[in-house]
Amino acid sequence: MKCNAAAECGRWIFFPVLVALVPVAPVGAAVDYAKDVKPLLRERCYSCHGALKQKAKLRLDTVELMLMGGEDGAVIERGKPDRSLIIGRVTDSDPVERMPPPHEGEPFTAAQVAMLREWIAAGAPAPADEKPETDPKEHWAFRPRVRPSVPQVANAKWVRNPVDAFIAKQHGERGLTPQPEASRPVLLRRLYLDLIGLPPTPAEIAAFENDASPDWYERAVNRLLDDPRHGERWARHWMDVWRYSDWWGLNDQLRNSQKHIWHWRDWIVESLNADTPYDEMIRLMLAADELHPNDLGKLRATGFLARNWFLFNRDHWLDETVEHVSKGILGITLNCAKCHDHKFDPFAQADYYKMRAFFEPYHVRMDVAPGEADLARDGIPRAFDGLLDTPTYRFVRGEESRPDKSAVIAPAVPDLFAFKKLEISPVTLPPEAWQPERRPWVADTHLAAARKKVEAATSAAEQAKTKAADAKPADSAAAQGALNVAELALALAKAELASLELRIAAMRATWTRTDRGANDPAGDDEREKVKAAIQSEREVAAAKARHAVASAELRLPNAPATPAEKKAVSVEKELKAARESLEKATKALAAPIAATEKVTPFSGAEWTPTRFFTSTKDDPKVEPGPKSSGRRSALADWITDARNPLTARVAVNHIWSRHMGAPLVATTFDFGRKNAAPAHVELIDWLACELVEHGWSMKHVHRLIVTSAAYRMMSSTAGGEANAAKDQDNVRLWRRTPIRLEAEAVRDSILALAGELDPTMGGPSVPTAAQAESKRRSLYFFHSNNERNLFLTTFDEANVKECYRRDESIIPQQALALLNSRLVQDSAARIAARLGADVPAGDDAAFVRQAFRGVLGVAPNDGELAACMKTMDAWRKLPKATPDQARANLIWALLNHNDFVTLR
Amino acid sequence: MKTGFHSPHRALSRRAFLADMGMGFTGLALGAMLQRDARASGAAWSPPDGLPHFPPKAKNVIWLFMNGGVSHMESFDPKPMLTKYAGKTIAETPFKDTQDPKKLALERLVVPDANGNQRNVLFPLQSGFQKHGQSGIEVSDWFPHIARNVDKLAIVRSMWTTDSNHGAQAQFHSGRHMNDGEFPTLGAWVHYGLGSLNDNLPQFISMGTREYWMKRDGHYLGPVHDAVPLRIDPANPLDFAKPERPFSADAQALGRDLVKELNALRGVEYPRDPAMAARIASYELAFRMQRSVPDVLDFSKETAETKALYGVELPHCRDFAMQLLATRRLVERGVRFVQIQHGGGGAGVWDAHGGLKANHAKNSLAVDQPIGALLTDLERRGLLNETIVIFATEFGRTPGTQGSDGRDHHIFGFSVWMAGGGLKRGVVHGATDEIGFHATENRHYVTDIHATILQQLGLDSRRLEIPGRKRLEIDHGKPIREIIA
Repeated sequence: MKCNAAAECGRWIFFPVLVALVPVAPVGAAVDYAKDVKPLLRERCYSCHGALKQKAKLRLDTVELMLMGGEDGAVIERGKPDRSLIIGRVTDSDPVERMPPPHEGEPFTAAQVAMLREWIAAGAPAPADEKPETDPKEHWAFRPRVRPSVPQVANAKWVRNPVDAFIAKQHGERGLTPQPEASRPVLLRRLYLDLIGLPPTPAEIAAFENDASPDWYERAVNRLLDDPRHGERWARHWMDVWRYSDWWGLNDQLRNSQKHIWHWRDWIVESLNADTPYDEMIRLMLAADELHPNDLGKLRATGFLARNWFLFNRDHWLDETVEHVSKGILGITLNCAKCHDHKFDPFAQADYYKMRAFFEPYHVRMDVAPGEADLARDGIPRAFDGLLDTPTYRFVRGEESRPDKSAVIAPAVPDLFAFKKLEISPVTLPPEAWQPERRPWVADTHLAAARKKVEAATSAAEQAKTKAADAKPADSAAAQGALNVAELALALAKAELASLELRIAAMRATWTRTDRGANDPAGDDEREKVKAAIQSEREVAAAKARHAVASAELRLPNAPATPAEKKAVSVEKELKAARESLEKATKALAAPIAATEKVTPFSGAEWTPTRFFTSTKDDPKVEPGPKSSGRRSALADWITDARNPLTARVAVNHIWSRHMGAPLVATTFDFGRKNAAPAHVELIDWLACELVEHGWSMKHVHRLIVTSAAYRMMSSTAGGEANAAKDQDNVRLWRRTPIRLEAEAVRDSILALAGELDPTMGGPSVPTAAQAESKRRSLYFFHSNNERNLFLTTFDEANVKECYRRDESIIPQQALALLNSRLVQDSAARIAARLGADVPAGDDAAFVRQAFRGVLGVAPNDGELAACMKTMDAWRKLPKATPDQARANLIWALLNHNDFVTLR
Repeated sequence: MKTGFHSPHRALSRRAFLADMGMGFTGLALGAMLQRDARASGAAWSPPDGLPHFPPKAKNVIWLFMNGGVSHMESFDPKPMLTKYAGKTIAETPFKDTQDPKKLALERLVVPDANGNQRNVLFPLQSGFQKHGQSGIEVSDWFPHIARNVDKLAIVRSMWTTDSNHGAQAQFHSGRHMNDGEFPTLGAWVHYGLGSLNDNLPQFISMGTREYWMKRDGHYLGPVHDAVPLRIDPANPLDFAKPERPFSADAQALGRDLVKELNALRGVEYPRDPAMAARIASYELAFRMQRSVPDVLDFSKETAETKALYGVELPHCRDFAMQLLATRRLVERGVRFVQIQHGGGGAGVWDAHGGLKANHAKNSLAVDQPIGALLTDLERRGLLNETIVIFATEFGRTPGTQGSDGRDHHIFGFSVWMAGGGLKRGVVHGATDEIGFHATENRHYVTDIHATILQQLGLDSRRLEIPGRKRLEIDHGKPIREIIA
């Protein structure tokens, strides 16, 4: 499944007990050590008394070790349960003495104790060849990655590339015969949907069917990998893994993720299309702000971190960051070590907080994007280090309220993976990075907005003027009032523009000086500019107050006396306040400018305010500074080091899974010791080496996988009964695993077949309300924890909280959506018209063939052809039926065919 | 019967396959994926077979949830001492020990709460209360119709929870504080664990408004175990339940037969494909649902007396009345679990931080008559014995005043009640102290309610646990034996 045990180890301070899910031998049956006893001990005891840890110098992972015992001697005495220490300890009524100890789980149940006693009484029999647990360092995924040699295999003619050699070796060992290659149309549909998420058009099918050249397949692969739609298709996969989500909250209040987070999505699409190396993508997502502090294009990548932003709780936010960096990129469940040492892997509780320490300084802000001054409309959400001095503490038993302040935890990686010393040195940021208002386009963007406002105010004033001139005498006073207000609004806009220009000049003068040296005193020129700017701000205040007074005066006589007296009162109040402001502003105009007065800077970025302390009030502002901690770039460097045993293995498993319908490591987020070694370790290692040694090129790995013979096999079991008898679950890959198309591929394919898919790439997410009409690809739809598209959700679209693997459910709601949705019904007619354009009316057979090829990618067999023709005939005989309808109905039926939503 | 299925799609035993299909509305893939993963890790595990683990006492659940937090003192746990000591701080009353910090330590306030202050000045009871029925149980005057049925109820007055904000809604359904993440709700577990009673309808249905923090149920069990939202709109009761563009039933029927035939014909090329079989079955069910769902909402066959009983013509309770009448019709047709949220929007309509009197008077008027009618109607149709009705809310409200006339969120003690399904009738279990501050006798965390319901349905939650998803002791809860008949 998609998740692991430890995610559920909540922080129940009152009930920190784990329930054993281990079999208990039925009464009367002899206790079997391997089946009954050992699983119990593994589940409840090994984490402290096994290969991972040897508390009291005791191991319980073999009977021999139990007899050898620990500090207190042997823990079992064959045949004598009453004299066996283990029985005493698991049944001790004193919680201090009892095993497992409090906070490590419930006591053994009476049935479990009875089973243990019975086994000891029977002489504690165990298999002769019982082996102790292996050293965690030797765990397959934790070992250094070594390029395995490509095996020589008997079935060499089947092998298209080394991927197949590893698989053929297992076939040979198990007497399996790979299924034959799928037909060309099936392969073509497979490639198109896999690589670009859309089916081939009839013209593309025809072109490839008529292509006699031996390299037609490779050319198709290359073309599709170069297609920009490839980036869109695979971006959605990585968005699952990296937890892409548009923002959500309560009504309009932002509580999770960020506005405009789609910039990160666009960066993913672009990066995949450019074949940006995987390691570079990881580095940028974790630390672009330190590595490329002034490159907005790359800063978009830190949306990966900005997405974890959570209004109310810092621990919650950092927990998610630690958990999903660990699971998604490293394939380890470090989150299990939040409250206690990891039960299966060599991670101490402190390791969890060491990982958190990398992220402790980071906060989120929104940078002004070129061309849009209003951050509500656009901006780049990104990470920055704002809390350089915040210490990281271990939480006792994971409870936020119990930080262990005796020691500050420094950023570090688990000892097991410390293949090099982590160099963490603070990064000095260029001024434009931490004073983003200094980016050249920022002033221009603000100026453009101010000029636009003047233009708008000018035309409003002109209109008011015309209106006043044309007004009938009765309306004249009101129109004159409106004109006055409009003119004052124009004056205000002009004052704002003038002030902005002066503020820019003053701030630039200050920057020039401070760049020379922070303590350099201001010269006359700068002082004059600052004074002028400050005076201009006073002018703006006065202009604003004049406008407010006039506007309130204009509304005052119109404010209805009754029944809305309250309203009049509020206009009166407003007027009073405006007059007071005006008086103050007018006075201020004449006041001398104090040396301490400062220019109000224009903004190049805004910190996204949090409410950790009070839910109704923003926290004190977190300001960017000239230094960044360097922690995240050090972490990124370690993660992407070729010696990191996890990163590349985890990446190729994600990629494999989506090409082949099932991952090589079923628990894609947990490569730890909890799970048995996968069947294809060598293949994983070989692919990982290929990834790293080819500059972390993902397209290289895509190409290797899709050009393998393994990829090209049939998914049918027909003729493979002998294989199925030996390997029903297809663990050894003797056939291809069919894939239930992802939600996005289902919807996009329908629109593409109808010729309606809007090819526009990138940009703001399509809001929920516009989705019914939108023809954009599904990955552009607004998608958050709150807002999900109904059609897509029906087909198991990604859960934004965690989605390392999509569900592939088969439920009646899917049938209803395909039968009855407007999307399908409308598209069916359009698809019929497109596919049938060249088919003469009345030639049902030809239309059925076209329809099968277009919708399902294959030719109909005789039975299918006959069934379709018979039904088309019946449709035409229905009252009020038209020939077009019969065709549309056939397409509708084929869209409901199992093989439309299945990648065979 | 063969023990294994040669599955081209996913590893799947015949048993798992039948379980999935037998459940009718559940999906194929989850069980299959899980089982394959479990096999890969060497553990013996198989998905539920859809049968109870032990003989059940109840078949269906009607889950009525009042969003926002109903005051326990002004509903099912009246506290005259509030009126007696009104205006005094708790410290000035004989009940000052309720403020012992140790007793308040229960609260796990992680998300700072604007409303998190203690409300110390006692607020008098805003409604009267009377003894009712043979049991003589006291119920607030705001719930006269439920009060008339009090001899059917098992009231639990000693609930506690830990989330002092409205995340407690999700907590009541899943048993977990929202900061732990999102977990399957009770309805999802029941759906996952039990077979279908009716193949023509979804087995887990929700009505009403769900807040953003608890829009879904299945979570790690998968979206197939989400409740299916049903609207009281015969024209559009269920998403995609009828063609969104005109399409004649005859044409659709021909298409249905063709799709079935074509899928079967593909089976020649792709034999022994459980995914194909599941899809064929899912289409059969979908076609049946298109007919049976609108039928549920066709109230024309209900008598005028029944409709009047629920109050479907009364503006103040019409919406809830329609939902509960539909609920009875669903349960009658064998739908396993119907989950109804009353009062959506904001944090929930019962969230009476101010103006509690007006708020609760209005909201009780909206739900009381329909609920009373549901209890009466189920009983006279012989359905109450096999149906558990539960009335719950995320937390109670403070004995102290908020502002001048409201009550704040209160997690230390509150009430729920259950009826039917083999539970005792006309009993009160547990108690709060004299001002309704702490649950003092027979305290129950929310999962004890889950355990009680699962017990009556014949399910052992430990046997539903799935590999890789360890549940804690508190997740399972303990059945409240004292209220089981």
